[in-house]
Amino acid sequence: MNRALYMRRRLLDRAFLALSVSAAIFGIGWLALILGELLYQGVGGLSLKLFYEMTPPPGSDGGLANAIAGSILMSAIAVVVGTPIGILAGTYLAEYGRHTWVAFVVRFVNDILLSAPSILIGLFIYELLVPRMGHFSGIAGAAALAVLVIPVVVRTTENMLLLVPNTLREAAVALGSPRNLVIRAVTLRAARAGIVTGVLLAIARISGETAPLLFTALNNQFWSVDLNAPMASLPAVIFQFAMSPYEDWHRLAWAAALLITVAVLSLSILARIFEAKRMSQ
Amino acid sequence: MSEMKPVDQKVRIDIRKLSFFYGATQALKNVSLPLYDRKVTAFIGPSGCGKSTLLRVLNRIYQLYPHQRAEGEVLFDGEDILDGGQDVNLLRAKVGMVFQKPTPFPMTIYDNVAFGIRLYERLPKSELDARVESALQRAALWGEVKNKLKDSGLSLSGGQQQRLCIARSVATKPEVILLDEPCSALDPMSTAKIEELIDELAKEYTIVIVTHNMQQASRVSDYTAFMFLGELVEFGITDKLFTTPENKRTEEYITGRFG
Repeated sequence: MNRALYMRRRLLDRAFLALSVSAAIFGIGWLALILGELLYQGVGGLSLKLFYEMTPPPGSDGGLANAIAGSILMSAIAVVVGTPIGILAGTYLAEYGRHTWVAFVVRFVNDILLSAPSILIGLFIYELLVPRMGHFSGIAGAAALAVLVIPVVVRTTENMLLLVPNTLREAAVALGSPRNLVIRAVTLRAARAGIVTGVLLAIARISGETAPLLFTALNNQFWSVDLNAPMASLPAVIFQFAMSPYEDWHRLAWAAALLITVAVLSLSILARIFEAKRMSQ
Repeated sequence: MSEMKPVDQKVRIDIRKLSFFYGATQALKNVSLPLYDRKVTAFIGPSGCGKSTLLRVLNRIYQLYPHQRAEGEVLFDGEDILDGGQDVNLLRAKVGMVFQKPTPFPMTIYDNVAFGIRLYERLPKSELDARVESALQRAALWGEVKNKLKDSGLSLSGGQQQRLCIARSVATKPEVILLDEPCSALDPMSTAKIEELIDELAKEYTIVIVTHNMQQASRVSDYTAFMFLGELVEFGITDKLFTTPENKRTEEYITGRFG
């Protein structure tokens, strides 16, 4: 054995390990700092009032109730509209289309949509809906978010269906099942946990989006669940309040940021649990 | 080709001049052989010889994939199943298939077996229960699962999963069962159980089995077809083919000199 060579290799191994560890610490360090600052600044603003009082004018007391309701409402509509479309399109790509050029084009466009800046989506929906309706509205905000949900769900649905072994499809076909039953009862079911994970990730993605809402739902200082009117949302409130010179608005912005982060974190943990369930199957 | 063709045997499926193509590649060349009613026929040969391809023609499962096509005739009770006018789902109801790797569906043991029955029949609960039980009995699995029918089919061991797949196949009351290397992913104990089962099933069904394992072919089959490079080299009664093969290549293969 060449001793020098062996020592050199061992040294290289150590050096590589040290580099990897410091890079990881550097990356995670920033995340920890952000989360720490958020907790430090946000916890002070937390109170029950956040959930039942409206966003206040500067200098007076208030909460985030209208923004929380708006965020939940618009996200819920976006998910309810975007999920079925996404799952069906993903199913087409993985089951029916696979090698067709239509699927190739759809997949390509979907990938572009997936990485498109969300501000573009906001502008697109603005062009499409706002001038026609004559005003900003909750429905336009929900539409913009739905357009963000669809590509995420299409991608994960297709990927998860492609992971289902072909022999499972063949086994169902060999029993004489028609194609749609094979897909509904066997392959979609086998991919279920992964698809749910995809939907949860899509929710996590849209719950922090600000840009697409600024051009569509705008904001609303008052309680409103009228989809035909401008609607408040947590990201839009953070944007407006954080840019202001008022101390109490800053406090509310931090609290709103903390709320979104906790919600997204819980969804991610939920997604991980589903993922673990999928792996154990 | 062996001249042994007992006259009293009824031919269930008659394969005539069958050729098969994967795109431009020809995988079967002019294969003709009979599959006898309620007998076990084994297809043997080295990897890539076309034995699985031949099996996959018998329920037209190859049609799932574009660019795969068959030429020739496959007469099932006198009707050509390759004829475009045939209802492929009805064919598959009559010709069951079990795969190399166990393929339980992601649902309960009960629903796995009931899946095929529900495709063709609407039965009251009690009758469906009875059909599921009898299918599991036939697959020699009932004793092991009767108390956990509501558990996932995926929770069973590999050998149990394979027997579940056999139960699922027989539940639809097919006439022919195709087995594509059903034991290659199983341990010797499970293999022995499946082989016993094949003996039992051969009383009612016409069985075709593809196997890499020549001992298995000689143990379970009545007839054996030896294939090589897409051609049928020799077909005959298993005992005769394994003891006094007519073709030199058959002899070389079964004595382990190639393949």
